[in-house]
Amino acid sequence: MAPTLLLAALLAAPATPATPLVSNGPTGSDSVTVSVAVPPVLGLAKSARRQRIGYLPRHVVLQTGGGVGMLSVGGGLSFAHRRLDLDALVGYVPARHAGTALTIASVKVKYAPWELPLGSSRLAFTPLAVGVYGSYTFGLRNTGEEGQYPDDYYWWSRTTRVGPVLGSSLSYALPDAPSGRARRLTGYYELATNDLYAISYYLNRRALSLPDITTLALGLKLEF
Amino acid sequence: MYQPTSMFSFFSSSFLRNALIGALATGLSACELVEFSPNDHRARADQKDLTAKNLARLTAAPLPPGDTLRFVFSGDSQRFYDDAQDLVRSVNQQPGIQFMLVSGDISDFGLGREMRWIDNELRKLKVPYLTVIGNHDHVANGREAYQEIFGPLNYSFVYADTKFVLIDTNSREYNFNGRVPDVPWLRGQLADLNGASRSVVISHVPPHDGDFDPTLRDAYAGTLRETPSLVFEMNGHRHDYGVGQPFNDGVTYVNSYAFEKRKYLVVTVFGDKQFRLKQVSF
Repeated sequence: MAPTLLLAALLAAPATPATPLVSNGPTGSDSVTVSVAVPPVLGLAKSARRQRIGYLPRHVVLQTGGGVGMLSVGGGLSFAHRRLDLDALVGYVPARHAGTALTIASVKVKYAPWELPLGSSRLAFTPLAVGVYGSYTFGLRNTGEEGQYPDDYYWWSRTTRVGPVLGSSLSYALPDAPSGRARRLTGYYELATNDLYAISYYLNRRALSLPDITTLALGLKLEF
Repeated sequence: MYQPTSMFSFFSSSFLRNALIGALATGLSACELVEFSPNDHRARADQKDLTAKNLARLTAAPLPPGDTLRFVFSGDSQRFYDDAQDLVRSVNQQPGIQFMLVSGDISDFGLGREMRWIDNELRKLKVPYLTVIGNHDHVANGREAYQEIFGPLNYSFVYADTKFVLIDTNSREYNFNGRVPDVPWLRGQLADLNGASRSVVISHVPPHDGDFDPTLRDAYAGTLRETPSLVFEMNGHRHDYGVGQPFNDGVTYVNSYAFEKRKYLVVTVFGDKQFRLKQVSF
């Protein structure tokens, strides 16, 4: 229910107007420009291309799980024809689930080489996305005070986690924004683990299985 | 005409039921899979309050009159899950043991999932097992995870005319606040043995270790010295077997092997407060 409401809120949010096209034409009425009519045209073409490169599909995300929050919200940009996503999220875990209330800041890079349009529908399936994430947790109770432990007493970070992610997604094309930007709603899942789980698995491949160290994230991404 | 309809409705209802059961089962496992944080300590109902559950099992099987108190003593399971598997196989072949004690550091990184991984192995023991919290179980939000998955940090139980007192001695994890271990609580526990005639104290960090609050060392060791019913105090933390009287005061301290040492102790307690320690390799 809560995710549905949040999604509705996200959809209702006004789309940010696209960056206005920067005029590259002559600014004055100087007639000298007439004698160099060709270069400005080239300049315009170059500028248009720069505009297109500068047009970065951007999105907001809403996620649960994946070790980075009971509920995480964030935003990101897509690069390389939407194959590469860079996301930043802030997640929250209430005290009843973790002992203290946690705030988790995370960044994630995901690469999805294929996107398969599903017939003539507005749906598209991304079968595989791979990536890495890093997170920093605020609010843990015992991370060590100054002088509490001798050096290297615990060799690992209690606050920073890194790990691989792997997932799929299904996108639905929404009507374009008034600015002409393509809008899309994507539902995704991600399987992930973290450095500490991975070490535990690596050292105990008989007793531990990959499902033992796997976490699941479910999320929504709105490109606008 | 009638038959196919009824067949169809039968299939559809059983399909529906199976789908419902499937969704429920998936929902239950997905609950843990959708992890909010590695410090998230949610667990299945059967992996919560394990101390109380194991104590209930132990109480349900009291030592028959004339039998000898015998238990397995180990510690520091940490991230040694493969070793835990083999330990369980070996302990399950020990005749005449009533339970197993794990002297702390159930987890390595203080994470709930690690504690559940250890329980995934130790729940296959034929006997109940009991734990005391170790310093690694205090890391980050491990203390809360331990309390959720196992139970209280200080507790005691009586079995076979012996009172077992398990106490948190991980002073460094509280940055030596002068309140851990809770010596007054220990004194109270040992002053009233609830009808038992012998006592055993189990903690993770031994009092003669640098991770034990130096301001409480004398009070703690003194309390044990003044307890005539005490068989010994049992510790972990040092990952290796040891037996001795570090304070030269008549109190014996026994240290457990870590799981990674692939050895454990079979402890037999008999008579007034006599004991025998047998080392077993696995």
